[in-house]
Amino acid sequence: MTAATLRTSIVVGLIALWEILPRAGLIPELFLPSLSSTLSAGWSEAAEYGHALAVTLYEVAISMAFACGGGILLGAVVGSLPRPRVLIMPMVSSLYAVPLVILYPVFTVWLGIGSESKIAFASIYGFLPTMLATAAGIQTIDPQLLLAARSMGATLSQRLVRVIIPAAIPTVLSGLRVGGALVIVGVVVSEMLISSAGIGYLISRYRTILDSPHVFAGVLLVLAMAVAFNAGIKWIERKAAIWQTGSRAGQRAADELTAGAMQPAT
Amino acid sequence: MQPLANITPLKPAGAIEVRNVGQIFRTTTQDVVALEDVSLDVKPGRFVVLVGPSGCGKSTLLMMMAGLRQQTSGTITISGAPIPEPDPHRVGVVFQEASLFPWLTAEENVEFPLALRRTPKDERRAKAQDALKLVGLDGFGKRHPHELSGGMKQRVSIARGMVQDPPVLLMDEPFAALDEQTRMTMGDELLRIWAATGKTVVFVTHSLTEAVYLADEVIVMSPRPGRIVDHLQVSLPRPRTYEMLSGDAFGRMRDRIWQHIRKSA
Repeated sequence: MTAATLRTSIVVGLIALWEILPRAGLIPELFLPSLSSTLSAGWSEAAEYGHALAVTLYEVAISMAFACGGGILLGAVVGSLPRPRVLIMPMVSSLYAVPLVILYPVFTVWLGIGSESKIAFASIYGFLPTMLATAAGIQTIDPQLLLAARSMGATLSQRLVRVIIPAAIPTVLSGLRVGGALVIVGVVVSEMLISSAGIGYLISRYRTILDSPHVFAGVLLVLAMAVAFNAGIKWIERKAAIWQTGSRAGQRAADELTAGAMQPAT
Repeated sequence: MQPLANITPLKPAGAIEVRNVGQIFRTTTQDVVALEDVSLDVKPGRFVVLVGPSGCGKSTLLMMMAGLRQQTSGTITISGAPIPEPDPHRVGVVFQEASLFPWLTAEENVEFPLALRRTPKDERRAKAQDALKLVGLDGFGKRHPHELSGGMKQRVSIARGMVQDPPVLLMDEPFAALDEQTRMTMGDELLRIWAATGKTVVFVTHSLTEAVYLADEVIVMSPRPGRIVDHLQVSLPRPRTYEMLSGDAFGRMRDRIWQHIRKSA
């Protein structure tokens, strides 16, 4: 059995258990409602969930734009200029270790309990890893590459577009993966804490009335959102990072060379 | 090893003149004299190797010939004109293998200097094909660097340095990261390409054997401050062969260089 089929069967098995265990009465419905009752609960309130999903997606999209846009921009500046780097990097790194969620009540005081406070909180939450990764990506570009580009007559803007950006893409993407996931976390958590709309709000409202099927329906939606985001990032990574180093391929090419598949032209 | 005698140079190659060149690196604490009063003439089509211990300024000198660094004093001319900034039409530069762009294919790497000047796609492709064929990589253009061996990557680097057909090729320890066996093969390859194109080559290396094996002339440099301490004419006939490595003439030249380096290191 390959790893992929094993993974698939584990997921299928867990889904089956989710259905079977509550139905057999081994787990009380309050703790874990069966998959079918979760789905039917979600379906019966489809309009409410649809509206909540729209609110959450809107907040996630705006926060994502702020977090990724701002993170990449500031990360690029900090990564390429030594002075701001010395100044900012230690601050940002230590800020990253602080559980920012403690600031969320303050945000609601400033911005109210609507979408603005969620967007502000999630943006900052996702901004930090994106910025740190971008700065690291730019900082670690091999100076040989830039020297080579310069020797071929590349101007500063050509070096930026043709060398610095493509060279930084893999690190930036890994930052986006973390930052984007944190944006989703930030939006949902802040909705659960203080709010009046969104999936997080639904989950926490149904929890207070102990309506587990509706709680789990909300959980499923958040799960689906995270899985979709992850798939999106993976797709971009596949498109962008075809050059991930594989020395085996190089060895194969060398073997072809010595096997006479290729003779030097004279 | 290919026979070389019947190949005539295709193009007249550039001359390099280095006159009383000095380079001082200013740091916050002190000034370091990297090069002092270096003068050197390289005739068109010659293969000149710069050797010397670390810190003798040989790479710095090469970077100045490439227009990548400006000297503090003195003048450098390539084909009769100074080189205030990199000019890939006059000078091609080949670095260690790590300088290929990993996100581009071999072909796109070779096309890179042409793409910077918005050369039409067809012309770019054609020139890249010719350059890849010259270095013996016909048919490998669609591969990315990680799909190529160390020696093949270095061939791509050479093709990239030559794609605009500059009369001068500057090489900064191009084979330093290769294993011994690949290094020997690449040396022969380089000599074949050099003989086929008639370019002026200035080649920086740490390896004394490589220096004598490849060169028409070996320039020996010493550090603190960097200056030229010897200038040898390598009288060995061409084509160079592996057997020459164990010959008396070869050994005498290598010893002479070693004596200089031992004194200064």
